[in-house]
Amino acid sequence: MTVRTNLNVRRLVYDSYNEELLEELARLPEVWDCTGCHTCAVRCPKGLKPVEVLYALRQQMVESGKVQPTVRDALESVFLEGNPWGKPRATRFDWMEGLDVKTAEEGEQVEYLFFVCCSIAYDPKLQVVAQNMVKILEKAGVDYAFLGEEEACCASEVQALGEEDLFEEMSEENTELLNKYPAQKIVTLSPHCLSALKKYEGLEAEIIHYTELLAELIEEEKLSWSGEFAKKVVYHDPCYLGKQNDVFDEPRKVLQSVPGIELVEFTRSRERSLCCEGGGGKMWVESESTEERLAETRAKSAGALEAQVIACACPFCILTLDDAVKAVGYEEEMEVLEITEILGKVME
Amino acid sequence: MKTFVAIKYVPDTSEAEINLDSTGMGVDTSRFSFDINEADNYAVEEAVQIKENHGGSVSVVSIGPQDSEVTIRMALAKGGDNAIRIEDSRIFEHDPLAVAKVLASSIKDQECDLVMTGCMANDDGNMSVGVALAEELGVPHAAMVKQVEVLDGKVRAHRELEGGLMEVVELTLPAVLTIQTGINEPRYAPIKGIRQAKKKELKVMSLDDLGLPADQVDESASKIKLNQMYIPEVEAKAEFIEGEDAEEKAVKLAEVLKKGGLV
Repeated sequence: MTVRTNLNVRRLVYDSYNEELLEELARLPEVWDCTGCHTCAVRCPKGLKPVEVLYALRQQMVESGKVQPTVRDALESVFLEGNPWGKPRATRFDWMEGLDVKTAEEGEQVEYLFFVCCSIAYDPKLQVVAQNMVKILEKAGVDYAFLGEEEACCASEVQALGEEDLFEEMSEENTELLNKYPAQKIVTLSPHCLSALKKYEGLEAEIIHYTELLAELIEEEKLSWSGEFAKKVVYHDPCYLGKQNDVFDEPRKVLQSVPGIELVEFTRSRERSLCCEGGGGKMWVESESTEERLAETRAKSAGALEAQVIACACPFCILTLDDAVKAVGYEEEMEVLEITEILGKVME
Repeated sequence: MKTFVAIKYVPDTSEAEINLDSTGMGVDTSRFSFDINEADNYAVEEAVQIKENHGGSVSVVSIGPQDSEVTIRMALAKGGDNAIRIEDSRIFEHDPLAVAKVLASSIKDQECDLVMTGCMANDDGNMSVGVALAEELGVPHAAMVKQVEVLDGKVRAHRELEGGLMEVVELTLPAVLTIQTGINEPRYAPIKGIRQAKKKELKVMSLDDLGLPADQVDESASKIKLNQMYIPEVEAKAEFIEGEDAEEKAVKLAEVLKKGGLV
């Protein structure tokens, strides 16, 4: 993110050693420019995570109550309704309407327990991710279950926005909830939930991202596709999936299993992937920078590759890249698709 | 300055699909989210800022169910000192006069310089509880207040009128102000503050605890009778603007807007 702003992470980490400076540092606008991409952690020769310093500075502002109204509203919504989008708790599972979805029964063992992200649950553009996932699981004959209305936000972005106490509260409640439903693995649809759940203490099941499960099912020949998707596709590595969780190959394996697909790579891919600026709580913080948005840079790179589709496996990347494709005027010739959307097109 | 803030716990109906309940006299709230009434949130912030700048205390009063305590705790986390939650099924909440009487009875025997509440509740839109509250307390009021200045024994209130006009009035304290949204930027109630606010006093009171006879504020006492609630039929009236290109369509759209007096 330092490409677009004055954010000098090294300087902030250094200055933060001086306690007298903390209040002043917390008020710097660039503290809110970090997208939580973890590039600094990937590149740090000492294995540090400088992002934690930035989140701690944000925490000071949060505890003073003086945060941007968009941040305030998102955090209050998580506290009151269990999602950052100001949506009612009671409508979280409206995406299931018309689908025969297996929901978890307390105490009943299931192989894969699914955790649906707030954005996928509520955003009409993203609900297809969960809906297609159900169809894929049914097709593969997997022993799965989704959580009922009790599911609440993973609090990944809550922590990024500096509300550590709310993160702790949500993580305790979610851990208790998830442990009520014994599963071999908990599968998240969003890489942000993946990262957050891995930080919870006391979860009994292993946490994986859905691309890891699908890659395995394809490998074991439990999943195959009847249709064809004859398009040039470039895969965008989400920071929370790649840099933070080392899941680079599985999404590519899933895409390569699709008949007809021509998979190409960005110059900046895998650990060098360019952030879309959707993480680190940035969905609720507008940057003061007037430099080109990184998602637009990304869309232009996809254009240079003559890609017809930018494929991705993260709801925030989908939203930011989709906006960027429109902003740079590629709407007619380029689509941004979640991997499950592509699978939905070749499934039947 | 001893300030009281009256707040209401309301459903967010801005985006929700609204359906009537089985009685036809109310709304099915099962799929709504609830929060502090928007204008009341600004009143809380204004009260807390006055306390921060001039000293004193902030007491929160609210009529609402147990679930509403979360928003009361949030107000306490922002700087409120204590709170009263009134819960009594006999209160006829459709009548703003009944609501004002109940609120007034929780305030009138206490030391009080200023009472603030939102200028309008998002759910019933009566815009009258604050004004009726002033009448019940026998004190002056200013409605739709967009700026408050604290003076010696008085407040100067800037009222927002139609067309961007502002009116400035001075009120001798004690007084009631109904607060317009946008007067300030309400702060965030951090979880740490909400946890600490659990130590602050939150009294739950019934009409009997307030010493207010129910027959003064129940349905029988009201001169308002709720007849019906209904959702009007949607008229399908949409005009598609045709044109060769965006420019031509934009010109036609501008004409429509101009003709309709919208620009």
